[in-house]
Order: sequence, then C-alpha cells, then structure tokens
Amino acid sequence: MVNGGWVCLISPLVGFLAIMLAGTRITRRQAGIISTVSVFVGFAGAVVAFIDAWRRSPDDRTELTTAWTWLQAGQFKVGLELLVDPLSIVMMLVVTGIGGLIVLYSNGYMAGEDEERRYFAYMAFFVFSMLLLAESGNLLLLLAGWGLVGLASYLLIGFHHERPSAVAAAKKAFVMNAIGDAVMALAFFLTISHIGSLEYGTVFAAVDDGRLSDTVVTLLALGLLGGAVAKSAQIPLHTWLPDAMEGPTPVSALIHAATMVTAGVYLICRTHPVFEGAPDVQHLAALLGLATLLVAGVIALVQWDIKRVIAYSTMSQIGYMFLGAGIGAYGFAMFHLVTHAFFKALLFLAAGLVIHRLDGEQDIRKMGGLRRSMPYTHATFLIGSLALVGIPIFAGFWSKDAILASALAYGGGLGWVLYVGGLLGALLTGLYSFRLYYLVFHGEPAAEGHEAEHHGEGDRSMLVPVGVLAVGSTIVGFLAIPGVWEPFETWLEPVVEPLVTPSTTQEWATSAVAVALGVLGILLARRAFRAGRELVPDGAVRTTLEHKLWFDELYDALFERPGRAVAALLRDRVETPIVQGGLDEVAGETMRGATLTASVQSGLLRTYALAFTVAVGVLTLVFLVVR
Amino acid sequence: MGNVVVWVIWLVAAAACVGTGLRVVTASNPFSSALSLIGNLASLAVLYLLASGEFVAAAQILVYAGAVMVMFLFVIAYLGGRADAPWAGGTRLIQTASVIATAALLSVVLVALMLNAGGRLSDEASITRAFGSPAEMGRLFLTDHLLAFEITSIVLFVAAVGGVVLGMRSEDEALVDAGKESRA
Amino acid sequence: MNGPGIPWYLAISAILFSTGIAGVLLRRSPLIVLLSLEIMLNASNLAFVGFSRLFGHMDGQVFALAVMAVAAAEVCVGLGLIVAMARRNLDLDVDRMTELRG
Repeated sequence: MVNGGWVCLISPLVGFLAIMLAGTRITRRQAGIISTVSVFVGFAGAVVAFIDAWRRSPDDRTELTTAWTWLQAGQFKVGLELLVDPLSIVMMLVVTGIGGLIVLYSNGYMAGEDEERRYFAYMAFFVFSMLLLAESGNLLLLLAGWGLVGLASYLLIGFHHERPSAVAAAKKAFVMNAIGDAVMALAFFLTISHIGSLEYGTVFAAVDDGRLSDTVVTLLALGLLGGAVAKSAQIPLHTWLPDAMEGPTPVSALIHAATMVTAGVYLICRTHPVFEGAPDVQHLAALLGLATLLVAGVIALVQWDIKRVIAYSTMSQIGYMFLGAGIGAYGFAMFHLVTHAFFKALLFLAAGLVIHRLDGEQDIRKMGGLRRSMPYTHATFLIGSLALVGIPIFAGFWSKDAILASALAYGGGLGWVLYVGGLLGALLTGLYSFRLYYLVFHGEPAAEGHEAEHHGEGDRSMLVPVGVLAVGSTIVGFLAIPGVWEPFETWLEPVVEPLVTPSTTQEWATSAVAVALGVLGILLARRAFRAGRELVPDGAVRTTLEHKLWFDELYDALFERPGRAVAALLRDRVETPIVQGGLDEVAGETMRGATLTASVQSGLLRTYALAFTVAVGVLTLVFLVVR
Repeated sequence: MGNVVVWVIWLVAAAACVGTGLRVVTASNPFSSALSLIGNLASLAVLYLLASGEFVAAAQILVYAGAVMVMFLFVIAYLGGRADAPWAGGTRLIQTASVIATAALLSVVLVALMLNAGGRLSDEASITRAFGSPAEMGRLFLTDHLLAFEITSIVLFVAAVGGVVLGMRSEDEALVDAGKESRA
Repeated sequence: MNGPGIPWYLAISAILFSTGIAGVLLRRSPLIVLLSLEIMLNASNLAFVGFSRLFGHMDGQVFALAVMAVAAAEVCVGLGLIVAMARRNLDLDVDRMTELRG
C-alpha cells in the first residue's frame, strides 16, 4: 500500500524534474508526453494502493511510513512521513486520475503555444505538490505541500506572463493564499508549543484528551480554517479565484476546480478532531460555506465570461463542501469533492473546447448556436451542467443532496438555516448554469462568424478526456445511493467518522425538494433566454453583483491603499535618509579617509627620508628613556 | 705632556671633520662637496688612529678616500655642467620640518651622551698592543665573523654586476647613437 | 687612555650624522644626497670604532670594515643610477623623481 503511495507521489516529481533538466533538448510534444505519463503512472500507483487497501480489513487500512527524519530540534522531531489511508487514497485517485485526464487534454489544447515545456513541467509539479499535501503524514509536510501548491498555482495562473492581467491575477492569488499560509503556520507554532509535535496522531490525541485549554484548540482550529478558507476561495478570502481564470483553461480545470481549491475541504476532514474540539469554529466553517455558496451563486448570474461563471460555480460548490464538513458530514463532503471534480473539470474542459474552437473568445455574448456545430461538446457540457444542478442519476444529485440531508438531520437553528440556504443554492445553481448553457449553445450564432476557423471540434487528446469525464459524471454518483449501496461512506468511515447521518427518508425527501428547485431554475433560465432578457434586471442589484459585491474595492481601501501609504512613508522617512544615507555616508567617509591616507605617498624621496628621520629620532628617544 | 698633544691633535681633527662635513652638505659646486668629503675622510682616519683602530684607519684611506671618492670624482667630471647643484630643495614645510627633525635628533643624542658621560661610557677597557692590528682583524674575520665576511663579498659582487647592468646601453640609445654616427 | 674619552667621539659621530641627515633631506641634487649619505655612514663608522675602544673588543672595527665595503657597493650602484639618468637626459633633481607616488 505504501509502495503505491510512494510511486504515486514520486512519479509526477520525476516527470517535472525530467522536463526541467532536459530543457530545450526535448520537443514540446515530448514534454507533454512525459508529463502525462508521469501523472498516469502516479494514478497507477494510487490504484495499486487502493486495491491493496481494499483487500485488507477495514481496520487495517492505515499506513504511516517515514522516509527519514527531516527536522529535529530537541524533543521536536519531524519526519518525511507518508500517510496512506482511505482518505488520502481518495485524494490520490482524484488528483492523479482527473489530473492525468486534464494533462492529456492539455497536449491538444496547448499545442502551438509558446513555452509548452514550461507548462507541462509546472503541471507535473503541481500534481506532485498536491499529492504531497494529500499524502503527508504530519502537519509540517502538509504545510509544505500547501505552500508548493500555492506556488504552482501562481506559476500556472501567470503562465502567460506577457499579459499584465495574468501577472496581477497570479500575484493576487499568491498573496491571498499567503495570508492563509501565515495563519496556518501560526496555528502550527501554537501546536508545537503546546503539544510538542506535529504528527497527526499526537495532535489529535492531545485535543481529544482535553489537556489543552479551549482557547488553544479554538485558535488552532481557526488557524486551520484560515488556511482552508484562503486555499478554497471561500468568503472572505475568495476574490482571487475569478481572477485566476487568466490562466489557461486546463489549469483552471485542474487547479481551480478539481483539486487545489478542494484542499481546504480535505484539510478540515483530515483534522476533524481539532474542529470537533472547537465546535464554534466548525460551525463557522459551515456558515462561511453557506455565505459563499449563496454569494457566488448570485454573482454568477451576471457574469459574461464563460470561465468566470464556472469559477463562481466552483466557489459555490465548495461552499457546499464546507457546509458539509462544518456539520460533520465529512464523508458526504468528500463525496461531493469527488463528484464535483468530475463534472467541474468536465465543464471547464468542454468550455475549453468552445474557446479553442472560437480562437480564444470567452465572452458568451459572442457565442450562440454551438449546439449544431459542436455536437460532442454540447452533449458533454449538458451532462456536466445537469450533474452540477443535481439532476437525478447524474453525479451531483447524489452528493449535493446528501449534504443537504445531513443539514436537515443536524437540526437545530444552524441546521435549518443551512438547509434552507443550501436549497436556495440549488435553485441558483440551476439558474446560472443553464443561463450559461442556453447562451452558449442555443439561439442564433453570433454575427462574428468565428466558427469557420476550425474544422472539427478538436484533437482526440482533447475529446477523449472530456468523454471520460462525462461518463464519470454520470456514474460516479452511484457510489452513494442512500439506503441501497454506500460504499463510499463505508470506505471513509474508519478515518473520518461523520457526526451526523441522515436517515434514508430524509435523504430522499431532500432530494425531491432539491431536484424540484433545480428544475425550476432550469425552466426559469430557459424562459428568460427565450424572452431574450437577463435573469437579473438592470439596476442597483445588478450593478452590485457585477462588482462582485464590492469585495475587491473593500480590500483595496482596507489593505492596499494603507499598505502602499505606509510603504511610501517608510521609503521616504526611513529608507532613503537613514539606510541609504547612512551607507552613502560610510562610503564617503571611507573614500575621504583613503584619499587622506594616500596623500602620504607623495612620491618624493625627500618626504620618505624625513619620515625615516623622525622615526629614528623617536626610536632613539624611546630606547634611551626606556633603558 | 703627551696628553696635551693628543688632545690638540684630537681637537684639530674633530674640527676638520665637522667643518668639512658641513661643507659637503652646503656647497653648491659638487666638486667642492666631493673634495670636502675627502678631507672629512682623512680627518676621520686620524680620529680612528687616536682610538687605536689602525687597520680601520688605513682601510679608510685606501678604500674610501682612494677608491670610492675617485669614483665620485670620475662621475662628477663626466657629468660636467649637469652636476651643478644649487640649493632650493623641497617645499617650505618640508625644509622647516627637516631642520627641526635633525636638530631634535641631535639634541636627543647629545643630551643622552652628556647624561651618561660620567657613567658607563667612561670605563674604557684596557687594551693590548694587538688591538687594532691587521692580524687581529684578519683573525676575527676568519673565525668569529666569517659569515659577515662572506656576505660582504657577495654584496660587492652584486654591486659590481649592478653597476655593469646600469651602465649598459639600452636598445633605443644604441639606435640613437647609430643614427648620430651615420649622420656625422 | 690619553686624550678625550669615548663620549667625545660619540658626540662627533652624532654631529656628523645629523649633518648627513640634513644634507639628505634638504638638497636637491642626487649627487649631493649621495655624498651626504656617505657622511652618515662615516659617522656610524666612527661610533663603531669608538665603542670598540670602549669595550676592548675588535668587533666594532670589524663591522666598521664591513660598513665600508657596503658603502662602496652602494656608491657604485648609486652612481650608476645617476649616470643612467644623465644618459637619458633626465633632470638630476630628486623632486622630479615621483614615480613612486601612491
């Protein structure tokens, strides 16, 4: 099992290093192949680990292995530890499986781009970092993976580095992630000082023991939540995700839909004992998820960029996952993570097919009628959208409704708020996703006439992954049929025991309501489309939504401007006069001293002789006196 | 009686010494300087004799006055007019400083001498007849101070080589002279 | 010993030495400087001989002889320099020779 884990982790790293070291000696195609193969080999490793774990009894499915001791300071020891257990296996499979499909897709999508090799190297690097995060056996390694993933995201968002908007977006993503990283690091410092170790087992035991004060546990949980919120683009650290769409479409699919942004959910599930020790923080997580869910949903209603709609959709769906994790429905949250990975990646890749076909056009107002010219894409996109809304048999149906049912089962004020909010979200999902669908694929083609540009819908390397994901989006949901067959839940139970399990009645009841609302959303979207109007009419509401609820402006005023003012002040008051001036003074004085000293060397014999004479006189005096 | 004679000779020699020394340093004609130096060497030889350094006195006349000074005179004659040496040396500052330094040095030493004159400097050792003789000198050179002897010979050799090297004509000079000859 | 005691010899030596130094520091012609240098060497020779008489060893005189030999060597080289300078039509002026300037 562990061997599978190692292969899974190391293979993408090898791919990355191979491409980096080979540099220009390999062709672009070869780089793409290396990258794809390395990720799929990782997938094979994950599968091996999975099969091995499956064959064992449920109690025996956790393996922790240390490669070597990485860090040792007194009592505190941290090793390079890999943890292979059901939860990490799920992540491994998702990351390498869907990652592999997306890298395969990239071979076709990125063909003809400049610097493809760099792209494929970064993709392999990202997969490796994500696996490090998922397979880490202690918090320090997790943090390392966390940071590296942020780095990979930065590199890939800013891939088109000649575009100022891309560079700015990359910076924004990195900075916001850094806030999360810092908060998490602070939590870890606290952990070390109070518990003395960063091993999962030790930390969880310490929390469960009750040895630690409530404040400490709460701070710990808050730190973890901070990191999760930043990485998963939940309110309030969400503004970077829409901008991250500057990156190439496969990047958006892999990092900002299927894997990296879901790391926060994984984190909460992995460290659930800490959250359970600080219930308030856990509930906070659920509430943030709810808020994000709704906010992202409404903002998606007014977006004109195809990728941004899907990005907000991602934000919203992760909100669902946070909601689930916040009430202790870890298994369902993870399940939604898996199904979401499938259909969200599918949506992005299909959107990529559209963009590719239209030579880079991303504005949906300039699209339309692609149903006829791109039938394959249309079919797969439709499947993805249906899965997203949660229409029966498609994947989203099973996972999203399970979360909502858990909220219902949770009960109490919080439970009801979450439940109603979540259902509202289902309506919104229907609205925005089918608004997108209709505008892109139905109606009259836009007058620009781009379609003649390309023949066919795309390369095989692009179409096959999309097809696989479409199939996946259809059948993956069946891993959790309430009351009938729930292998997914059972699989995860030994590791993450859910706090709340809805009854079968609750589940089916919720589903009914949710589906109804989703269908309502679809129909409303269709009606608006047919009538040729927007769902949100012009006015104050629309303007606010278009400005994404003024979050960017708020952050600019709160942080950006004061920050810049302080920096300028420091530069003018401290840096220039004191630091720079000080250095200049020192240099000047040294020069002057040197010039002075050099003047002794006049070159005249006479002066030297005089010096000798004086010296001799002094020496004579000294000798005579001292004796 | 003998004492008075010795004193008189000593004083005359000393005065000559100091006088010619000053003349060497102050004359503007280098020829006069060189001749004064010869006088200085002679008076010094007398002083050596009075201090029982017979061999040294002889060597002084033979080597110094005889060979070294002749070399000097040769060069001065060769240089002719170019050797003229008017005073005017250095900036005012350096001149003043030099005078002060010299005066200071001199006073320090004289004061020290005077202070000590009654003490250890007045116990002269008794000497034999062999003191100052060539035989004794030779013996010392070949036994106690053999190293100094050998090194001195090396130094003289190096100086001889150096003199030859300095005296060699450089290539440009040869060309220039050849040019002069062809035009002559 | 008849005649003046050793301090007198040493006094003469000191006076001669200072005279020599003054000459080295104050004159411009390298030739005169060289002559002044000779004065200084002789002064030290006198001191050596005087001390030799004081202590009754001949070591001082031995060294005086060595000094004489070295002085001869030095004069040889020094005069060679001056002749070389003259041949290249350089000014025989100590103040012009400033190539050692730092």
